[in-house]
Amino acid sequence: MSMAFLACLVVLFWLSALGAPIAYAILIGSFAYLAVDGQGIGIAGKVMMDGMYASFILLAVPLFIVAANIMNAGTISDRLLGFCVALVGRFRGGLGHVNIVCSLIFSGMSGSAVADAAGIGKIIIGMMTKSGQYPRGYAAAITAASATIGPVIPPSIPMVLYALISNTSIGYLFLGGIVPGLLMGAVLMIMNAWIAHRRGFALESPVPLTELPARTVKAFPALLMPALLLYGIYGGVTTPTEAAAVAAFYALLLSVLVYRALTLRALVQILVESARSSAAVGLVIGGALILNYVVASENIPALVAQSLVGLDVSATQFLLGVMVVLLLLGCVLDATTIILVIIPLFLPACRDLGIDLVHFGVIAVINCMIGLITPPYGILLFVINAVTRIPLSEMIGEIWPFLAILVLALLVLVVTPDVVLWLPRLFGYAG
Amino acid sequence: MALRRPFLPAFAGHAMTFLTTTLSRAAQGVAAALMAAMFLTFVLQITVRYSARLPGLAEHLPALDPSLYGWTLEFCLLLWVWLVFWGNAFVVREQDHVRFDILYLAVSPRLRRWFAIAAGLAIAIGLLASIGPTWEKFHILRLKKTATLAPLLGDWIRMRDIYAVYVVFLGAVGLRYAWGVWRAFRHGVSDQGPTA
Repeated sequence: MSMAFLACLVVLFWLSALGAPIAYAILIGSFAYLAVDGQGIGIAGKVMMDGMYASFILLAVPLFIVAANIMNAGTISDRLLGFCVALVGRFRGGLGHVNIVCSLIFSGMSGSAVADAAGIGKIIIGMMTKSGQYPRGYAAAITAASATIGPVIPPSIPMVLYALISNTSIGYLFLGGIVPGLLMGAVLMIMNAWIAHRRGFALESPVPLTELPARTVKAFPALLMPALLLYGIYGGVTTPTEAAAVAAFYALLLSVLVYRALTLRALVQILVESARSSAAVGLVIGGALILNYVVASENIPALVAQSLVGLDVSATQFLLGVMVVLLLLGCVLDATTIILVIIPLFLPACRDLGIDLVHFGVIAVINCMIGLITPPYGILLFVINAVTRIPLSEMIGEIWPFLAILVLALLVLVVTPDVVLWLPRLFGYAG
Repeated sequence: MALRRPFLPAFAGHAMTFLTTTLSRAAQGVAAALMAAMFLTFVLQITVRYSARLPGLAEHLPALDPSLYGWTLEFCLLLWVWLVFWGNAFVVREQDHVRFDILYLAVSPRLRRWFAIAAGLAIAIGLLASIGPTWEKFHILRLKKTATLAPLLGDWIRMRDIYAVYVVFLGAVGLRYAWGVWRAFRHGVSDQGPTA
């Protein structure tokens, strides 16, 4: 390791530990590298601007953020909820199931776990705790756990970021996430049913089946969105980035024209909020671009690959190792940083070991999403805490069974690449 | 520390507050407009591509001729870059950033203040010091034309004009952190971070 790189790491970790925004810690850390290395700190800006100006695929990020914000502000979320309550609310642990099914459907429309938790998740937690059938910690925990499905089922912002750093097809990545996402939903529902029986959560009064058609009609235009997006991307109508714009446009049309639930003032507010979060994410992406330049000039990924070849590990052992590392990192770092900064280090090793990069991408994204709910540093826990005021300690006490079952599902996906790659292959993926 | 009386008369203080709120509103308006423009450009791009397939439409609606819309892609990239750096310069608040604040929140308020001062100083000095070298690196770009934007924005536009927003960002954020350090030094910090 060169002196310059050491300086970079020291500054980066020191600033992060002091509580500076990660994006600025990365930026100043790379300045330190460039200064010590004698390259001149002006290069950072050039590398960042060139990288951002060349990455068309990144445009999906702000557009998916707008789409999710519009869906949350209009009544799209509420209508979906009404539909799900009628569908699965009658079983024991019903609202828990509603929560998971809602997340599954919503994840087919939005690409962000935080948007899932803050939007539809907040409404559902309100329903679950209002009647007192569920402890509020349980309601928050199951919401956080099911929100992790959001970016696994397409569309997905983390997968867009992974596609950027790995040069894999975003279309195949999206397809690869569908089966794993459904599997995650299934295991969460099993866990919820089991806990509801054991702890004897009271039954809700079921919505009569005769109401189901009416509620389906009310929610139908919203239910159509995942299908529209998938058709757009795989029917060759739009690029995945354009699909993000179509999602936002469709959500806007629904909210304004069909559901009439959005005023002009609210729309402006949505645009400001979306601009704000897109800019904050964008700066982390920019920082990661410079950091990747630093890491590449130090030849770190090749060194990682070399040392692994020396260790003579098998592909599965390597994946399990990476999984443990990512889960541990997920306790202290956020998903965007992990995907943009840490994952690139492993990619050359993956190629050497013959690991399929779409498979790797999907499990890495799931891994990072599980990291969003691992205490102590879980963004989803923080977001739910911020929007519902449910104490973190109560949430953390209830999150463990869901965490365990999600990790188990991840393990299964790691050792069975065929499950992940089945759908992409069906659509012509050669890997 | 004893509270000092402000050296500005009260009305000047009000004028300052009015000015900062108005400016911040305006900055938000710009960010919202950039966002909306990006969104609409995408919709336009898709519309144009599909309307071109409809027979006879090109003759009746020459405004939808696809050859007129070669700029949409690069224009979106321009808007994105401006959105990110304009946004971080003037619209993003300290609490909007991803931060690793476990340590920051765990230490005593006295120490927290020094955390904020140290981090703020490093960021302010780093960003402000890089303005000169960055502008030098961008110097050559004053000659480089954009690939497709001339028909939309005019022939004058060069890559440096687009990249200039990064320098604005360096200056604005550098100054804001410097101001935050000064405030932390004088008055202490809130638990939302130095410039909150």
